[in-house]
Amino acid sequence: MKLKKKWIPYILIAPTILYYFFFWLSPVISAIYNSFRNPKGGFTFNNYIEVFTHTSFGLAFRNTAFIALVSVFIEFIIALALALLINKKFKGSGIFLFLAMIPMALPAVGAAAIWKTGLTTNGWMNSLLYYLGFLEKGARIHFLNGSTFSVMWLIIFVDAWQVIPSMMIILLAGLQNLSKEAQEAGYVFGANRFRTLMDITIPMLKPTIVTAVILRLISAIQIWLIVVLLFGFDRIPLLLERVVYYKEEVSRLENSYQIASTYAVIVAVIVTTAAVLYLKLSGAFEKYEEVGE
Amino acid sequence: MDKRFVTKLIRKTIFYILITGIALTIITPIYFLVSLSLLSSREAYQYPLPLVPALSSKFKIEKGRKGYLLSIYDPRLGGYDTVIDTKHIDKIVRYMRTELNIITTEKKIKSYIDNLKTRKEVYFKLRKSIFNNYITFFQVTRDAVPALIRSLEIAGLTILISLTIGGMGGYAFARYMFRGKNLLKISVLFVRVFPAVAIAMPMVVILARIGFYDRPIGLSLVYSVGSIALTIWITASIFMGISTELEEAAYVFGATRLRTFLNITLPLALPGLAACAMYAFIGAWNETVSALILTQFNPTFSVVVYQSLIGASGQVNLTAAGGISMAIPMVIFTLFIRRYINQMWGGVQV
Repeated sequence: MKLKKKWIPYILIAPTILYYFFFWLSPVISAIYNSFRNPKGGFTFNNYIEVFTHTSFGLAFRNTAFIALVSVFIEFIIALALALLINKKFKGSGIFLFLAMIPMALPAVGAAAIWKTGLTTNGWMNSLLYYLGFLEKGARIHFLNGSTFSVMWLIIFVDAWQVIPSMMIILLAGLQNLSKEAQEAGYVFGANRFRTLMDITIPMLKPTIVTAVILRLISAIQIWLIVVLLFGFDRIPLLLERVVYYKEEVSRLENSYQIASTYAVIVAVIVTTAAVLYLKLSGAFEKYEEVGE
Repeated sequence: MDKRFVTKLIRKTIFYILITGIALTIITPIYFLVSLSLLSSREAYQYPLPLVPALSSKFKIEKGRKGYLLSIYDPRLGGYDTVIDTKHIDKIVRYMRTELNIITTEKKIKSYIDNLKTRKEVYFKLRKSIFNNYITFFQVTRDAVPALIRSLEIAGLTILISLTIGGMGGYAFARYMFRGKNLLKISVLFVRVFPAVAIAMPMVVILARIGFYDRPIGLSLVYSVGSIALTIWITASIFMGISTELEEAAYVFGATRLRTFLNITLPLALPGLAACAMYAFIGAWNETVSALILTQFNPTFSVVVYQSLIGASGQVNLTAAGGISMAIPMVIFTLFIRRYINQMWGGVQV
């Protein structure tokens, strides 16, 4: 049996499509379906009405938006600054890059173990501050019991510690793939360092920046595990935290499964909107259409 | 001295100070977790925490009101701190094991006590069993060892599924033009927007229907969704990097497409595929949320560590040992794949 050549790509891609159909699309449809069902199985909008009116949706949305926007912005700026500063081969760069990859590879529970043992009142963070002379003997900072606002900054800090190194590596890789000639041309034509950076390097780096930020944005909106491991459920309500909260913690409600599904669908809609909005603003779609021809 | 030389030297110094600063910021939290995982319970509940775990402890034993009075040298106090007063030697041995991570025998303690006949105080030093927390973690945490084996099994299956399916897809992306290619390429990235928890909840029913619920294969089917996407992106860039001329040369010599792929293309792509495999492994090993929902009696290792973290009963030094056991394979893997990370990010660009 000889296959026609034009069918080969479709045969190669078919398993992926089938796989996504069974193990991605069908659970997604099922989740959406459940979000429109009442516990008895009938169609209803009540889950959405309940989420938007009765529960802590507004708070969860505000917390998530604050953490996601601030952390992505800060992480990106710092990662880009670091990548630009160390964009050269230096002695020990291999070891340095390896170190920078460790936080990225750390499992969420591993990172949570680090910060849970660190941020408790008698944890290593206070001990370190004491040894460095920032804290008086006997004085301790109650990191985990601060106000909601300070706790959110703590979450951003913990998140940044894990994310900045990996973002820096992505941007460094992008920088190293750029041709040096364009940047040199900038200098030849009399541009200073800053102008060359803003007018040549960053525009050339844009595809990498878009990739790094979009991946980050998608996972930043879905932050919850580290927060729950550090503060428990319900302390800092987040969109995805609500999903797990209703799925695992709340059993007295007869429709908690449906509420969890509703939250999940809302999270997906928000993430998609944010991602599409970002791609639109950054002009990535136009590039695709050009390539697509 | 030459002025330019001085400027260069200052620049270089500032550069290295910056690099060291970043490295220290990354390392310090990890160092403290490692250090904590090696501390005995007595050390772990002190404040401030010792910067370096002790390798041994110095003891003083004397006659007490109840029996024998055991004191331990505390470097922070600069003197001995009384910890236990008992006439039962087995209590002393147990105290040393549970609180100080020192494994000793009653006979040994007895021999020190015998010296009390001639002297008022007996001093001695015992070596700490440094990895005792790890041993204890795996002993006291129910399911830790089977869960570890299950996690490895899940990761292996995930690699198998995502490399075969994703590798085929990546090859198609690299070598052929076909309808809907670009749409498919973006949508592969967009599978991530639907939260993993939301996928896992309906997956309970789907997996139960095919008999895969609470089994390693079920979880690896879920994890493969994410890693197939990543594998397609990485392998597409790898196959694009392998020149088609080599393949054409093979056809000229009469090899079939499949044979060419197996003998020419695949060996060249192997290092990149290894990187994909390790990414799939990291993804499967680290994942907690879906595992929490999709297992009941057969948790994964990450779930076991999660539970020891969230439970109030867990001792901090044991939790630290669990966290480190979880992280070590990942750090080793990163060491292996670090060369490919650059390559990968050169290829994955939206």
